[in-house]
Amino acid sequence: MLEVRGRKVTLIEQGRGEPLVYLHGFADVHGVAGEFQPFHLRLGTAARVIAPAHPGCAQSDELGYGYGIDDVIFHYLEVFDALGLESFDLVGHCVGGWIAAELAVRYPERVRRLGLIGACGLFVPGAPIGDVFMHSQPERGVQLTSLRRLLFAHESAPAGLRFFASARGDIEEEMRRYQMLRFGSFIGFKPPYFYNRVLRGRLYRAAMPAAVIWGAMDRMVPCAHGDAYVAGLPGAEDLTLIAGAGHAAPLEQPDATADALLHFLSATSDIGKRVSNG
Amino acid sequence: MTKPVQLYCWHFMSYPYLPADFDQRYETGWVTVPNRLWDAERSRGLYREYIDQLAYADEIGFDGMVLNEHHQNIYGLMPSPNLIAAALSQKTKRGKIVILGNLLPLHLNPLRMAEEYAMLDNMSDGRLIAGFAPGSGPETFNYDVPSAPSREQFWEAVDLIHRAWTEDGPFAWEGRHYPLRYVNPWPRPTQQPHPPVWIPSSRSTETLVNIAKRGYCYFLSSRSHGSETAKSQAQFAKILEDQGSRFDPFRMGILMSAHVGETDAQAQDEAKEGVWYFLKNCLKGHLRREGRMLTAGPGIPYIPPSEFRSYLKFSDPSAPMLGDAEDWSDLQRAQSIIVGGPDTVYRRISDIIEHAKCGHLLIQFHMGNMPDALVRRSMSLFVQEVAPRLREHSAKLFGAHFPEMERSAEMAQ
Repeated sequence: MLEVRGRKVTLIEQGRGEPLVYLHGFADVHGVAGEFQPFHLRLGTAARVIAPAHPGCAQSDELGYGYGIDDVIFHYLEVFDALGLESFDLVGHCVGGWIAAELAVRYPERVRRLGLIGACGLFVPGAPIGDVFMHSQPERGVQLTSLRRLLFAHESAPAGLRFFASARGDIEEEMRRYQMLRFGSFIGFKPPYFYNRVLRGRLYRAAMPAAVIWGAMDRMVPCAHGDAYVAGLPGAEDLTLIAGAGHAAPLEQPDATADALLHFLSATSDIGKRVSNG
Repeated sequence: MTKPVQLYCWHFMSYPYLPADFDQRYETGWVTVPNRLWDAERSRGLYREYIDQLAYADEIGFDGMVLNEHHQNIYGLMPSPNLIAAALSQKTKRGKIVILGNLLPLHLNPLRMAEEYAMLDNMSDGRLIAGFAPGSGPETFNYDVPSAPSREQFWEAVDLIHRAWTEDGPFAWEGRHYPLRYVNPWPRPTQQPHPPVWIPSSRSTETLVNIAKRGYCYFLSSRSHGSETAKSQAQFAKILEDQGSRFDPFRMGILMSAHVGETDAQAQDEAKEGVWYFLKNCLKGHLRREGRMLTAGPGIPYIPPSEFRSYLKFSDPSAPMLGDAEDWSDLQRAQSIIVGGPDTVYRRISDIIEHAKCGHLLIQFHMGNMPDALVRRSMSLFVQEVAPRLREHSAKLFGAHFPEMERSAEMAQ
């Protein structure tokens, strides 16, 4: 637990090495899981993984009524300062990927390398981001079939059934999901729907090495968004598709997703050092 | 004599021409229900029929007419209740016109609501009851209104409207959501200092405190009655007392549906089609397990996490809702749709008044696809056979429970 400007921030850490800040998504640690999952643990074999919970998520305090994405960016600056992180690797998934991209275009000097996994944040005409709110309303009282279909490769994906079961779940798990949706409602409900229309034109500012990784069957944030990130980020080479995964690639295919990221981190370790040494 | 219960006729204006297999073929009656089902030819004259039913209510002796705002659904065809209210203001002379309410966060600027309500108050010679609602259920999806900040936005809008009505303009409003440099609406309301304000809520303490401290009327938006209704009344009364004020029946309203026939059996027989059309079609997406309910839940995260935690603790997701009723006895348990001969309807409504001690009874007569003649006959039987007894009984009841109300009425005379 960390405190910045009088607000509590839930924060968990794992592994040793260079600091890597991980910003979570919906089907993710803090978004629904109370602890690190195999994907995060595997990242921890190569880096010091630091995962704060977004404002209002887990035990983190809300930012107060009526906040938006800019307030969240400022919040994270405070978090990074409080942790003494000057320059670090930044990885984000889903909404966390959006926040990571916003930070990278504004403060490129602090982000050594950027990893985006199924990141929202961009406006891509004709490829709208899925309606996670509508699908979070259960059918027949408790059925979350269509939410699993939105977030996973298919509705009976084991990770989907584990975290989005069609039954009133563990109350803490339900609360984490609710708080995550509330956070999402604050920053990303009103059109733009989980995107910032001007972000795409700002991506040129984030010239650090970047990995763009996507579940090949992502229905929440269509792969066209991955293509748009690759096209806009000067340091990104190719879109890495994770076979057999939907939006929740880190939960569904933890090894393949972590390997893609670890491969990127090792391939860019020289660049990373050069950047960090100035 | 103490003021008796006020009886209002509520019209939702549902779409009555759905195909017979609607429930089998469509997963919801809200938001995404395909609008190709709208039959423009058959719907000619539909609004006139509904408006005339409300004017008839006024003519035969109801105390008021009630309208509300819904979007993109088959349950209520009033995206703008103010348009219907404008028509009623010219067609009727006597009863209150209750709009319950304009959904403030859906509108670009609350000043427009202040202006339209002030117009309606003038157009109706001071008969407007101004309702405001946050609209954070299905409407979230209709207009892409973010749920999480909607309550804060709602109360800012309410306070802006209140001040626009009561304070001389022009003044500047420095709100977070609706900053305005010149607030100076013309016309001002006929009723001074302002038309009565009603606000619907389930039982959120935060909302009740806000209603109480502003002197507004609390409209319990629950669709079922019983011990919960009495609890809501007690909760609101306690909040008023904590604020140094006192509950009286006219600080609270409730909603129910009724159909009155000559006898119980006849009433059930003739109302059956309309009632079940209403339950299975209109409530699908609202108060039914079948399909996707959009009225409350995690996808509409407008309540603070602490309130959601108690919702999780105390709600049972498998419990049947009003629209899940399969027969008359299920319906009777919900105590919300009352169908019977005059004696039955009187007895059951007066039971509710005794428990809830609330002075405003908002009653829906037109249900689903009920034919005009049937609705009118039910309304007329209600006014002749049920209303006089309810008024007499409630006046005694209120007089006994709220003696200070009687004293203040005497002083006023």
